[in-house]
Amino acid sequence: MRVEPIGVIFKKEVLDNLRDRRTLAGSLFYPLLGPLLMILLFSVMGQTLSTKAEEPLALPVLGAEQGPALMQFLEQSGAEIEPAPDDPEASVRAGEYDVVLIIPEGYEEDFRAGRPATVRLVVDPSRQAASVPADRARDLLASYSRQIGSLRLLARGVDPAITEAVIIERVDVSTSQSRTASLLNIVPYFVVFSIFVGAMYLIIDTTAGERERGSLEPLLINPVARSELVLGKLLAALPFAIFALLETLLGFFITLKVSPIEFVDVQLTLPFSALIVVFLVALPMTLLASALQMIIATFTHSFKEAQNYLGVLPLVPALPGLLMVFAPVKPKLWMMLIPTFGQQLLMNQAMRGEALAPLDVIVSAAVTLIAGLVLVFVAIKLYERERVLFG
Amino acid sequence: MINVENLQKSFGDVNALRGVTFTAPDGQITGLLGPNGAGKTTPLRIVYAVLRPDRGRATVDGRDSTTATHAVQQRIGVLPESDSQGLYPRLTARENVRYYGRLHGLEGVGLEHRIDELIEMLDMWEIADRRTEGFSHGERLKVAIARALVHGPQNVLLDEPTTGLDVMSTRSMRDVICGLRDEGKAVLFSSHVMQEVSALCDRIVVIAQGRIVASGTPDDLRRKTGHADLEDAFVAVIGSGRGLR
Repeated sequence: MRVEPIGVIFKKEVLDNLRDRRTLAGSLFYPLLGPLLMILLFSVMGQTLSTKAEEPLALPVLGAEQGPALMQFLEQSGAEIEPAPDDPEASVRAGEYDVVLIIPEGYEEDFRAGRPATVRLVVDPSRQAASVPADRARDLLASYSRQIGSLRLLARGVDPAITEAVIIERVDVSTSQSRTASLLNIVPYFVVFSIFVGAMYLIIDTTAGERERGSLEPLLINPVARSELVLGKLLAALPFAIFALLETLLGFFITLKVSPIEFVDVQLTLPFSALIVVFLVALPMTLLASALQMIIATFTHSFKEAQNYLGVLPLVPALPGLLMVFAPVKPKLWMMLIPTFGQQLLMNQAMRGEALAPLDVIVSAAVTLIAGLVLVFVAIKLYERERVLFG
Repeated sequence: MINVENLQKSFGDVNALRGVTFTAPDGQITGLLGPNGAGKTTPLRIVYAVLRPDRGRATVDGRDSTTATHAVQQRIGVLPESDSQGLYPRLTARENVRYYGRLHGLEGVGLEHRIDELIEMLDMWEIADRRTEGFSHGERLKVAIARALVHGPQNVLLDEPTTGLDVMSTRSMRDVICGLRDEGKAVLFSSHVMQEVSALCDRIVVIAQGRIVASGTPDDLRRKTGHADLEDAFVAVIGSGRGLR
C-alpha cells in the first residue's frame, strides 16, 4: 500500500464534494438540528412554566358574593378575581379559560356552621399549559382551608400541630449541574447523529454515486490498489464527520451559553472543559460510522437507494441514547464494549461533571477503533471483488 | 501488443466467453466485431483487469493481467463503454484528466505539459477549464480520451467509442484512432457497426456467442466467405438470421 495514491484520491474527493451542494447542506445544516431543537424545547418549556408562575393568577369565580372572606384571602395572595363565563365547564374544555372556581349556594351556610364547605374547581388536566394555574388555584384554596382549620382548633384550645402526624423534609442531593444534565441527555443522541450524517453524502457520492455515473469502471482501470482506493475515500469522509461533530458541540455550547432562560432556578451550563472531553470521547466513532456507511452504500445501486438506507442508519446507534433520556443507567465496564453506546454513557457522565473512569474511556475507544478497522478491512475486501463493478 | 489466449468466463449460468483467442499487434488497428451481447466487452474487461478469467490468460506487452495487474494497467489506456463516459461533473475537464494523471504517478510541470498537449491534440481549449456538467456527448468523449491517454500508454482499448456520436465527432474520433496507430501503438476497439470496422481496421476479429468465428484482414474475410461485400461476409460467419428475432 502506497501513500501517494491515497493522498491523490483523498484530495480529489474532498475538493469534489466541497463543490457539491448536497454534501455541504448535509454537513452544515443537519449537525445544527440538535442545538436548534434544544432552543425550541427551552423556549416552549420556559414560556409555559416560568411566565405562568410569575404572572398574577387570573381566577374567574362564579358566585363570588357567596364567600367574601375567601375572595379577600385570594386577592391578598395574588389572585385576580374575574367574572366567570356563563358555562364554566364548556369554556374550560374549549381552552378559553385555564381554571374556573365555582362557589355553590349553601357554601356560606356550611362555612358558618363549621361543616366542610364545598367549592368546585373546574380544570382540564389533559392541557399541559393549564396545569400551572390550576395547581396554583388548588394550592391557594388548600392553604385557605388549612388556615381556617387551624384558627378553629385554636379557638377550641387545641394546638393545630396535632393534625400533622408526619412532616416530610426533602433533602435534595442533586448538584445544579446534575439537574441540568437530565436535559443535556439529548446531546449524545445528536452527537452520534451528526457523526453519521456529516459524511453521509460524501460517502454515497464516492461509492453508489461513483457507480451510478459510470465513473467507477474507468477509475478501477488505474494502477491503484483497491485498498488504496478505499482508504482514500474513507479518509475523505473523516474531516466531514469531524467537522459535523464540532459543529454540533459548538452549537449546543452556544445555545446553552446565550440561552437567557433560567430553568427551574438553575442556569443551564455546559463547561468548555466538558465539551472537550465529549469531543475526544466521540472521536473514535467517526471511523466506525464512515466505514459502516461505506459498506452499506457499496451494496446499493443508486444515490437514492443509498440515501434510503443511510437515512435511517443513525437512528440505530442513537436509540440507546434516546432511551437514556427517559431511563438513565449507571455506566458499567461491559457497556463500554458496545461501540457508540459506551460513548453515549461517557458523554453523559462528562456533562454531569463526573470524573470518567480511565479504564472505561480506554476500553470504549479501543473497542470502537478496532470495530472501525475491521469494517475498513471488510470494505477493502468488498472492493476487491469483481462484483463491485455491477453493484 | 495485446494477446489473449483461450479466455473463458461465465457469470452464473451464462457462458459469456467459451475460449477466445486473438492478438492486437503494435502499429495496427484491430477491430473486435460482433452483434450485441456477443461477448465483446468481457475480454476487454479481462485485459484491463477488472474481471478475472475462469480459464486462459490475457497479456499486455508480455505481462499477465491477473498477476501483474498494475504493470498492465500502466501500459494501457482505456475508454470503457459508457454513455456518460464516467466524468466527474463538478470537476473541470482539466481536473478530470489531471486526477487520472496523478493516479498514474505523474505530477508537476511534466503532467501539466502533457495535459496541454492532449488539449491541443483533441482541440478542447474552449472546454478545458469548464466543469464537465452539461457537456455534449462529443465533448465528454474528448475528455474521456484525454484521460485515457494522459500517461502515454503503448496500448489503447476502446469499447464502442462511436456509439451515439454525430458525424463530425465520429470523424474526429477516427482521426484520433488513426493517429494512435501511426505512432506505433496497438489499438483494439470493439464495435457492432460493420462500416466503421471495415473503414478503419487493419485486422478484424469477429466474435459471436462467446467464440471467435473469424479473424484476419478485411480481404481475408471476403476471400474466406466468398462474399465481396463485407456485410454479407459478416452475416455469413456469425450465421444468418441472428439479428432481431
